[in-house]
Amino acid sequence: MSKYLDLSIKEINNLLKNKTIKPLDLVEEAFERIENNIDLNCFITLDKENAIRKAQELENKKVDNLLFGIPIAIKDNIMTESLRTTCASKMLENFIPTYDATVIKKIKAKNMIIIGKTNMDEFAMGSTSQTSYFKSPHNPWNRNMIAGGSSGGSASCVSARLVPFALGSDTGGSIRQPASYCGIVGMKPTYGRISRYGLVAFASSLDQIGPMTTNVYDNALLLNILVGSDEHDLTSSEKEEEDFTRFIGEDIKGMKIAVPNYFLSDIIDKETKENVEQTIEILKNNGAIVEYVDIKYLDNAVTLYQIIAMGEASSNLARFDGIRYGYSYEKPENLEDLYRKSRAIGFGKEVKRRIMVGSYLLSGENATVYYNKALSIRDDMRKSFKETFKNYDLIIGPTTTTTAYKLGEGLDDPRQTFMDDVLVIPVNMAGLPGLNVPIGFSKNNLPIGLHIIGNSFEEAQIYKLAAFIENELNLNLNPTGGRE
Amino acid sequence: MSDYKKTIGIEVHCELKTNTKMFSTSTNGYQMVANKNICAIDLAYPGTLPIVNKYAVELALKAALLLNCKINKTMHFDRKNYFYPDLPKGYQITQARTPIGVDGYVEIEVNGIKKQIGIHDIHIEEDTAKSIHKDDKSYLDFNRAGVPLIEIVTKPDMTSSEEAMAYLEKLKEILFYANVSDCKMEEGSMRCDVNVSISKDDNLGIRTETKNIGSISSVGLAINVEAKRQEEVLESGGIIKEETRRFDEKAEKTILMRVKESGNDYRYFPEADIPYLVLTDEFIEDTKATIPVMPDTRRKIYRENNISDINIEKIIQDKAISDYLLNFNNINLKIASNLLLGDIRAYLNKTGKTIEETTLTIEKFKTVVNKLDSGEIPNKVFKDILVDLLETNKSFEEIIKDNNIETISDTSSLLEVVTTVLDNNEANIIEYKNGHDRVLKFLMGQIMKETKGSANPALVNKILLEEIEKR
Repeated sequence: MSKYLDLSIKEINNLLKNKTIKPLDLVEEAFERIENNIDLNCFITLDKENAIRKAQELENKKVDNLLFGIPIAIKDNIMTESLRTTCASKMLENFIPTYDATVIKKIKAKNMIIIGKTNMDEFAMGSTSQTSYFKSPHNPWNRNMIAGGSSGGSASCVSARLVPFALGSDTGGSIRQPASYCGIVGMKPTYGRISRYGLVAFASSLDQIGPMTTNVYDNALLLNILVGSDEHDLTSSEKEEEDFTRFIGEDIKGMKIAVPNYFLSDIIDKETKENVEQTIEILKNNGAIVEYVDIKYLDNAVTLYQIIAMGEASSNLARFDGIRYGYSYEKPENLEDLYRKSRAIGFGKEVKRRIMVGSYLLSGENATVYYNKALSIRDDMRKSFKETFKNYDLIIGPTTTTTAYKLGEGLDDPRQTFMDDVLVIPVNMAGLPGLNVPIGFSKNNLPIGLHIIGNSFEEAQIYKLAAFIENELNLNLNPTGGRE
Repeated sequence: MSDYKKTIGIEVHCELKTNTKMFSTSTNGYQMVANKNICAIDLAYPGTLPIVNKYAVELALKAALLLNCKINKTMHFDRKNYFYPDLPKGYQITQARTPIGVDGYVEIEVNGIKKQIGIHDIHIEEDTAKSIHKDDKSYLDFNRAGVPLIEIVTKPDMTSSEEAMAYLEKLKEILFYANVSDCKMEEGSMRCDVNVSISKDDNLGIRTETKNIGSISSVGLAINVEAKRQEEVLESGGIIKEETRRFDEKAEKTILMRVKESGNDYRYFPEADIPYLVLTDEFIEDTKATIPVMPDTRRKIYRENNISDINIEKIIQDKAISDYLLNFNNINLKIASNLLLGDIRAYLNKTGKTIEETTLTIEKFKTVVNKLDSGEIPNKVFKDILVDLLETNKSFEEIIKDNNIETISDTSSLLEVVTTVLDNNEANIIEYKNGHDRVLKFLMGQIMKETKGSANPALVNKILLEEIEKR
């Protein structure tokens, strides 16, 4: 079995350039690895035939960029033309998109090779990927454990080195939390940084696509090609493209870093807290200034998130009515029956729960009492973050309160699973960029991650710190790499 | 007569005259084949997002300005959530909290009395698909889904069907002349819903809403019919319920569609897919500059040019003619409008051409009007050369020459005819001198008859007056 996919992107690129290997070698290796790890349930749909065809086509093309010919996995809520996109739901079990999401167009333009569509929580609603209509993905570090969610399939397949790159989406931590559980690097960029066109909407004001990779440099590299304003998405930012790798390798002397007290309060598991504190010591020893601050409403973030995300979701998912596409109840008695049965059967339990709660929250006076109030507190929280960034370059803390837990857990208490995301949700609420970088392991050999939050459009600063930590710690992050 | 007073408010939906839809780039236009003007956005495919048609915003702004509204310079869109097969997203993008225009008015005139009808607001939204029910099946045509609309909501300021009809006529005229909308009620590009309540005192009664009425005159009828129904209910001890009704034109009845639940729950909330739009002062000024001369200004000009009230309304009714007249100043508009409303329009109707499709250049028309005005050619000649004017590229002078038309402008030969006519009508001369001016017209007629219409009317008039004076 070849091991090209364990090499760095630069090394692979050189091999492709001097024709030592062909893109097909990479694709075949990826599928070999996927087939050997089918029990991880990372993928909902594999696209082997087209991936091979594309790889063969590339043999005659010039290797013109670092991502050329590199396999990538796509979360199954991102539209891929002619490639089934299910959102891990019975509702879209047989849905074949007619168009490519903007990010897919960009990936194809760089001649990356799409391997398949990754498993996730149904419509990205969940923190464990267990609400998937398909079999839940497993954690490569311990196959009895969850991969996290909702981008669990993407996190798991990158962690297991099946493919070097994956796309996830993050509405309330769905890239960073599974990245933390699986020991990989996951970035949720600034809201508006990447076009949402073609991402199936969960909560429009929070959703953001982002890169998931094995290391910081690759992550910045992938982000480079995903960003940019898009005429199809009015919320996409006009910011010019930039090289997110540009500060990688710089030292961190004089960098001002804030740690919100809430992020190290007793809601955090002891081992996780210790790991974060050790990392803070390393930063201090290398000349960074680390101070403890308070940011308003952090402890309300989950409540705010539930109101805003479920409210928006109840509206965004109204289009799945069994009429134009998706699951349609076969023998409806009338229109009402068609709506009821198509949605009752097509959606899973968690999705229906969120639609119902969201509809209630927007009903009549509730819109004022809950939704509008949540929006205004969210504004205050955003301002509090902005205040902090007047004095600090970055904010850090743990990504999750604990390490990954057992599959099957967390299903009986829907409110408790939201608490998994208590540390990552505020970043979506404030529209800021946030990244998980692995900083260690628990006694049970499960990854622990550091959450680095930047000011709007300051992703490059995040990568600088993340790369520094990655380099200092030099962890073996390959779950198959014989770590004890 | 009834001692109940009517209170009427009207909601009008107008399709905006844009090339593309409100939130996608699909064509906005008449389409024979169902589901032809559609794209993934119109069908609400997963992952699609709306874009905003700036021209539609400009047209809506133009309407808001013409309806004297205050403009919400920072505006955004909201979602109105409900399930219906013709609503692909399960919500309609509309403006609930920040309509583009608020608090305006339209001035109407009924029986010589002027009145301002208050405009509560005007907002931008998208049209739904069309449901077609055939036998036991329903079909959906998404060509209309996403077509830009404005909804114009009045305050409950109207008190009679006449006022309601006058308001609608006025609104239609404004929006049509400003090129905001086709305003064709028969084709559905303008639709109105009427709210009616009745009361014996100053407290408003419970109102009902009558939907989708087919024409302005039907609106008048529907209001009276519905008010009468409400009166009968109240007089027989019943109560009026807040409900939605439709007008059955043949039966002249309003028919219950549904009783309104206590406050329809549309779960309005801000549309996060579209950021706030800021209408800059520059954009507003640029939009103002696109407003053409409006009908009331045109009426004033026509009145100043002694065009009869009947003809003024005829011109206003025919925007093409009215627009054509805008090309001219310093000509006799009365003569010009007579020509346009008369022989020229008859020709256009017969041939199905527009005036731009004829060879009647602005220069040529100006010459003709001036020649008629000065009396150099009589009306009869105009009729003779009409086809040449409209179908050849010859100049006026060439036409006159090529048709061997001679206009009698020879004073001596005219004097002969005038003398003969006056000799034969001495009694009329006395009558004229006693102050009966219209006799002159009769004498003119006699002279024109003698000359078979070829005499120069202005010259005849001059000689005639001189000769009468001498007697």
